[in-house]
Amino acid sequence: MKLAKRYLLLFVLPALILYTLFIVYPLINSLFLSLYSWPGVGKKTFVGLDNFRKVFSAGSFRNEVFNAFWHNVYFYFLAALIEIGVGFFIALMLASKIKGARMFRNIVYIPNMIPLVLVGFMWSLYLNPQVGLVNQFLKLIGLGGLAQSWLGQESTALTTIILVNAWRNIGFYVLVLLAAILDINPSLLEAAYIDGASNWKIIWRIIFPLSFSTVRTLAILLFIWSFNVFDMIYALEGVQAGPYRSTDVLGTLFYRTAFGGLGSSAIDMGLGATITVFIFAIIMPVSILYVYLVEKRQRSA
Amino acid sequence: MKLRSVLLISLVVLLSAIAFSGVVNIWSWRSQDADVWKQVESRLRAQGYDIKINFTAYAPTEYDAKVNLALQTGTGPDLVYSRRLPGGLTQTLIDNGLYLPLPNDFDLSHFPQAVLNSVTSGGKVYGVPFAVQVVGIFYNKDYFDQFGLSIPKTWDELVEVADTIQKNGITPFFVPGKEAWALTMQHAMCGVSVLGPEWIKDLTEGKTCFLDVKFVDLNRKLNDLKKYYQKGFMGNSTNDLNAAFAFGQAAMVFYGIWGYQTWHELNPDLRVGYFMVPPANECQEPYAYTYMDGAIALTSNVKNREDSLKVLEFCATPEFGTIFSNVTYNIPAVSGAQLPDLDILKVAVDTYNNHASPYVYWVGSVFVTQKPSLYTDVLSPGMQAMYSGKITPEELARNAQDAISQWYEPLMKK
Repeated sequence: MKLAKRYLLLFVLPALILYTLFIVYPLINSLFLSLYSWPGVGKKTFVGLDNFRKVFSAGSFRNEVFNAFWHNVYFYFLAALIEIGVGFFIALMLASKIKGARMFRNIVYIPNMIPLVLVGFMWSLYLNPQVGLVNQFLKLIGLGGLAQSWLGQESTALTTIILVNAWRNIGFYVLVLLAAILDINPSLLEAAYIDGASNWKIIWRIIFPLSFSTVRTLAILLFIWSFNVFDMIYALEGVQAGPYRSTDVLGTLFYRTAFGGLGSSAIDMGLGATITVFIFAIIMPVSILYVYLVEKRQRSA
Repeated sequence: MKLRSVLLISLVVLLSAIAFSGVVNIWSWRSQDADVWKQVESRLRAQGYDIKINFTAYAPTEYDAKVNLALQTGTGPDLVYSRRLPGGLTQTLIDNGLYLPLPNDFDLSHFPQAVLNSVTSGGKVYGVPFAVQVVGIFYNKDYFDQFGLSIPKTWDELVEVADTIQKNGITPFFVPGKEAWALTMQHAMCGVSVLGPEWIKDLTEGKTCFLDVKFVDLNRKLNDLKKYYQKGFMGNSTNDLNAAFAFGQAAMVFYGIWGYQTWHELNPDLRVGYFMVPPANECQEPYAYTYMDGAIALTSNVKNREDSLKVLEFCATPEFGTIFSNVTYNIPAVSGAQLPDLDILKVAVDTYNNHASPYVYWVGSVFVTQKPSLYTDVLSPGMQAMYSGKITPEELARNAQDAISQWYEPLMKK
């Protein structure tokens, strides 16, 4: 028994070292860094909780932080509605035996394989207000009145970005949900049909409850990703998160604060680290919930 | 057998040549300069210096963080492209001894003092400036000829010109409203003419403030001009601007001379002219917004100091300027270079030498050195908000005053 424990440690060690070096150390380091003011080079100045005061007490920086925070929240709810909600119905369709289901399964996943930089580039072309594909298409089908400057106005910019994000990521959610739906014992569905249940009833009373644990897991993962989101906004609106910060999220705010927005502007790694601590404080409880639920599921399985 | 020994000997010779020639590593954010350094290398070799230049360009958005980290860990190159002063990034690197000053006897006689100011800190010179930029209004000469227009002398004339162009069915201005920095640049280039350098000097000294009627009036002028921009301009990027201007979809752009390289590549037949933003009235002189783009600096990580200084010495000669401008169509910072035979470059150089505004409030000014910065935090989101009708010209002025007076002593309430 003693021997086994020693070997166990030996086998765990490589992973433990890597984990400590690349996850635990940076985490603790950024916690400490949030107590300092530091331009990225040279001496760090200890400022205590001053950075946190900037984030939470009234002032222009707090406004910026909470402006970004609410955008993250909006991002999460709309993305969840589309990626999981619509994704569920697409998965349902693909689960039924329609012609070419296999082909659709592949098609729906394709955008996920396109590198994000390319997605940003493609969509900024499609969304060009004068010659972009989207507005041209609207004009073609006689809806030219709906053509707009999608990424250039507050009312549509963030929603457009979330839709592009959904276009890219929905394939992943569809695949996972599809697996969950196909996992349901077909005899349950057959029994329901024989008992005379309508399609809607089968979906709501049998398929949805039986795949709910998957939906819940996806919802939690999406929450974590939504509060970490940076790349899509960076690719479509740049680090300034325009127009006038209406697409700003905590990720872009962090980048601007820690690495400087443009050219020779002042930067503060310490204040940037404070934002990451703030993001961490939001994500951590949800992550713990996720681990707890997964554990529970494995135990019951 | 004989062939093999010949090959072997030539290999040994080649290897020893590589081993003995000095390698100089240079990092940059400008990938378009790769060819410049190839030519510099061969020119130095022709002069008898056995120097090999390794040029590496990084994405502009990652560049500064990369240099910071590398220099602190001792893995940086001999020379780096450095940003202009005053500026938080460069100043910190200098203060921490990561950029080294040029030797006292270094020959900088080919540079005007205004350029050297952007690389001088504490009486020492850090780096050899490589390019200067001129911003202003670039126009399509064909349209101006076609509609019988001449270069406007006042802001009102500029509006008339725009009006005539619009009546002829052409978009007068193409503005990349999605890119906030370009809107700030537009504000800043209009500011040097409409407000004038004297006003900006007074602002810097705290004799006036952003709430002054002249500043509010400039905001209003810009806001009123937007009816001459392309429809949906808030959704356009600078890539869109390049294509639209190069192919004649718009007659004028508020931009910088660096754009010419792209326009020329897209449409070699395009005839481009330049004029400074006209002042508010005829009694005022127009001014141009100009700035030093960057310098080539010696780092504390230098491994090959002797050859690096040799390269820097070459960068301080008109010959370097000639190579640089012929590859990039940019204006070299060093004077006396042979520029490519292009009217637009001659006009830009003349503007730089004779009409540069001595006072500015965008890059190269004190107002961008701390947070909240006039550039990143006020004018970039603020111009977008004003153009979208979210805030008024008065509110934009108020935002500027509130933000800068948080940290800039002369503008604090007395």
